[in-house]
Amino acid sequence: MLNHILSAFRTYMHGDGAVLLPEMQLFLFAIGTLAMDSWAANTSSEKPGTNLVFQQNYWNPAIALAGTAFSALTLWMLRARIMQSGDLAGFHLTLVVDSYFVFFSALFLAATALVILLSVNCSTISAVRQGRYFALLLFACMSMMLMVAAVDLVVIFLAMEAVAISAYFLAASPSLSNRTPSAAVKFLFSSALGSALVVYGFSLLYGLSGDTNISQVARALGGRHNVAKVIALSRQSGPQGLQMLQLLQSRLPEAVRWHAFTLEALPIAAFMLVSVGMILKFAVPPFQAEFNHENAETDFGIPSAVILYLSGAFGIAAVALLLRLLFTIFADSQNIWWYIIAGMAIAGISYGGLASLRQTNLERIIVYLSIAQMSYVLLGVVAANEGAATAMTYYLLTYLFTVTGVFGMLITVRDRSTSARTLNDLRGLRQRSPITALLLIVFVLSLAGAPPTAGFFGRYFIFHSLLETGHRYIGWFVTVSSLPLAYSYLRIAVYAWRGTKSETESAAVAFGVSEAIVLGICVFVSLAAGLYSEPFTRMARYAFGQ
Amino acid sequence: MLPVTHYLFLSFALFFIGLTGVLSRRNLIVKLFSMEIILNAASVNFMAFARLYGDASGQVFSILVVAMLALELLVALVIIAAVCSRWKSATPDDAKDLSSQLDY
Repeated sequence: MLNHILSAFRTYMHGDGAVLLPEMQLFLFAIGTLAMDSWAANTSSEKPGTNLVFQQNYWNPAIALAGTAFSALTLWMLRARIMQSGDLAGFHLTLVVDSYFVFFSALFLAATALVILLSVNCSTISAVRQGRYFALLLFACMSMMLMVAAVDLVVIFLAMEAVAISAYFLAASPSLSNRTPSAAVKFLFSSALGSALVVYGFSLLYGLSGDTNISQVARALGGRHNVAKVIALSRQSGPQGLQMLQLLQSRLPEAVRWHAFTLEALPIAAFMLVSVGMILKFAVPPFQAEFNHENAETDFGIPSAVILYLSGAFGIAAVALLLRLLFTIFADSQNIWWYIIAGMAIAGISYGGLASLRQTNLERIIVYLSIAQMSYVLLGVVAANEGAATAMTYYLLTYLFTVTGVFGMLITVRDRSTSARTLNDLRGLRQRSPITALLLIVFVLSLAGAPPTAGFFGRYFIFHSLLETGHRYIGWFVTVSSLPLAYSYLRIAVYAWRGTKSETESAAVAFGVSEAIVLGICVFVSLAAGLYSEPFTRMARYAFGQ
Repeated sequence: MLPVTHYLFLSFALFFIGLTGVLSRRNLIVKLFSMEIILNAASVNFMAFARLYGDASGQVFSILVVAMLALELLVALVIIAAVCSRWKSATPDDAKDLSSQLDY
């Protein structure tokens, strides 16, 4: 009996199980975090003050970090396996393990690990039973990995909803904030509207192809011109029209009544719905539409680490999914839809840059600018050559680490000394702590795209691919529209560097160990990728299997 | 047996009703209902196309859409309830008038 179970398990782990193994590990560790948390709460409530280790509450982040580490290890082994024997596919071709999945999963795991490290000392998070928080982070990471692994519309939809629901809980968890986070309401509505639009687009795609696998959908979309031609011919009189009518009646009887135009118009509608829906999700418009009673100075009412996760990792996940859909389903009509994507990208860059000018709250500035940053990635889709693919993944890779660095700076400065909520709070940061000011300036310059940093090469590669494919005018447009963006970033740097100490001044900024690790990694990436970008571009090239 | 275009028109109508509701209404609960109407429109599409192609995956998708809709509704209503108890209203405009009394 036991042997049967064991052999069944072994067969499973060699087949479908291997495809899902990194996600399963994260899931188990998330459950473990929850169990450990409730056990620790029970023991420490029985004997108050005796269980110092659990009161320190370092166990939850430790387990969560171990989860990401194990998952990363499995991912590394999977990578070796697919290098030897090609891409894996499982669960009736709904999930795949290819280099795209490996690259983006590694990115999500890194983002989750960095956010876990940044949350260890966060006062608002450690005030509550934090096991739930870390478990939620792991669940969110797991669903994001599923999202890039999925190649079936049904599974993509399920993973997308799983990501969204983890995000709602992270943004709205009342235990994480003392106020009702209005950001959560905005996030909820824009994200739910985004997924509703995407699902409607999926239903049209299914209707056009009769299949849910995205490569089958792509093939059916490619063949729709022939079907349209057959329908048009069947309306003609004469023997050929009759023949086509008979063909149509035998293959797809309903199509006799269709208009050929619907077959041309519906893919465009589906494309618009899917791309607008995904953009609604990744542009993090939670933070866009202001409610009237909020002004530019209030923060979002949720911990900075959560905002970082929402605007960093979730944004990257949505872009990754959008890229996969665009490059498989809609790949062969790229010369038609690049206008739409270019328009959206330019609108996003100008909107993010201009809206950030009005803000004085630091988190708000960064979040608005993250909309612009994600729009830059879309420009790579406009160019859509080999260099553009590398440029996009390189951009996302370096963007994740630099934005984590900026939020890490905000978290340390806020927790340790005067709360750095607005630009004015940064005044005199150089005198308080020169290293902090210097690190902040490095990250901000990298986000702005200044030469010695990682951000410069991200911009350079994207512009290069745009020029290569002859989109010179878009290059000009983008240069002009990114001026407010650069101004916004430089404004932060100037505030951090200049200005004198304010009267309400407290002790110098001090890093905890976990923050120091995060900032070390981030500053390493954002400088190393700028000074010697070869290893990073090789990683970026790997994502598209080049 | 109705042709598939009839279902398509029904779902387009539902979609636009939903989209108009999301964009024009201010009350959060009405907004939420409008979003569910969009999802239902997608669900109608899936059922119609599943019958057209004689393929079960559309029906599965439709059932999953309903399940996810219920789940999302639950989470959204919890969040709206939390917000309403603070704002004393489900409409952000009313909250603006109350904002002087609240510590926003």
